Amino acid sequence: MTTLFVAKQYIKGFISKYEVYLKPLLKLVLALTALMIINGKIGYMHRLDSISIVLILALMCSFMPMNFIIFVAAAFVVMHMYTLGLECAALTLILFLVLFLLYFRFSPKDTIVVLLTPLGFMIGIPYAVPLVMGLVGTPVSAISVGCGVIVMYFINYMAEIAPAVSGMDEGDMAGKFRFIIDGFMDRKEMLLLIAAFAVTIIVVYLIRRLSIDYAWTIAIISGALVDVMILLVGDLSFDMEISIAGLIVGTIFSVAIAKLVELFAFHLDYSRTEKVQFEDDEYYYYVKAVPKITVAAPSRTVKKINASRRRPSGSGQAHR
Amino acid sequence: MINEEKVILMTRMASYEEGKGKRDIRIMHYFRGDFIGFQMLKSIIAVTVAFLAVFAAYVFYNFEPLMQEVYKMDLMAFGKNVITLYLCVAGGYSVISYAVYAHKYSKAKKGLRTYFANLKRLVGMYDK
Repeated sequence: MTTLFVAKQYIKGFISKYEVYLKPLLKLVLALTALMIINGKIGYMHRLDSISIVLILALMCSFMPMNFIIFVAAAFVVMHMYTLGLECAALTLILFLVLFLLYFRFSPKDTIVVLLTPLGFMIGIPYAVPLVMGLVGTPVSAISVGCGVIVMYFINYMAEIAPAVSGMDEGDMAGKFRFIIDGFMDRKEMLLLIAAFAVTIIVVYLIRRLSIDYAWTIAIISGALVDVMILLVGDLSFDMEISIAGLIVGTIFSVAIAKLVELFAFHLDYSRTEKVQFEDDEYYYYVKAVPKITVAAPSRTVKKINASRRRPSGSGQAHR
Repeated sequence: MINEEKVILMTRMASYEEGKGKRDIRIMHYFRGDFIGFQMLKSIIAVTVAFLAVFAAYVFYNFEPLMQEVYKMDLMAFGKNVITLYLCVAGGYSVISYAVYAHKYSKAKKGLRTYFANLKRLVGMYDK
């Protein structure tokens, strides 16, 4: 465990030192991954489905606020949908408009979760998202995760029905519109996931705030169990096709990720290096405030049991 | 000679000014009622645009049945229902907006109060 704490301190130190470069790099990787996944899933507009465009936009995102990635990704999805059909683009636009106007006005910090939730699904760790958000967020994060699940299912659904929509009569726009909405609303699995994730986030949040020993670990395990139970009950009740093995393996993997997050987020003692400037009557101050490293490298104590008898004293213990 | 206590205090204050303080100062430029009222106005505009978008989707979804029944249906009752629904949605959203922005205002006030207390302490250090 000490090794882990030393590694934590090392990583914290590294992040504090190179934060100026790491932050844009993180945004670049996030934007690049999101845009490439969108292109891979629904890359109907060939002009956008090129690595140079994706790279330019990702580079632009790396110097902009985090939420800019969401806008670029949303615009990307709408434009791809426009190639598929005007009605598809209109529906996508309405979906994003409602999300942005009604919810993200209140919690702009949570907006990035809408991007991270589908990414969690794509890389096979969907169940880690509610556990982690329960640990680092608030119960309101359940809405952000729910929005992320809706966006993910919408993109997957559109990718699935794209051939059917392209084959439909061009003039029957209302028919296409109805076909898309009916199919999308019929996704019980999506509603079940939203409910399961919301309950998981609330359970994890409530337990981790209790003043009991190992509250965070208990919260993670309880959250994972609640998540699995809701999904299994939903699977049996609504006769859905959730892979039980995938659910259990995915949950175990997600618990491991949540434990890793706990290691870094617990105590919330992480504060970034801050550079501030101010002046008084006598001086100009250029201050760099660096957070203290709280765990020192472990010192080893070697105790000799069979000490030599020839040396009468001082040889019983040695410190290295 | 540099006064260390003063530097620590000034660093904390400068850090606040550059971070949360910026937002708090912007919020505290308004009176409570003005701030909440302005944010609620923005919320009402947002909910109206969202409602219109969803309503347009509803009309487009039910385009054929609506066109077939447009001469038979009671348009006044239909309009009344739509307006009632809009008022319910906008009202509910406004209540949530009020709670959220009232909380934000009180948080900003608390943050600035601490900042001014630190400022007073700093002035005291100069007077010594």
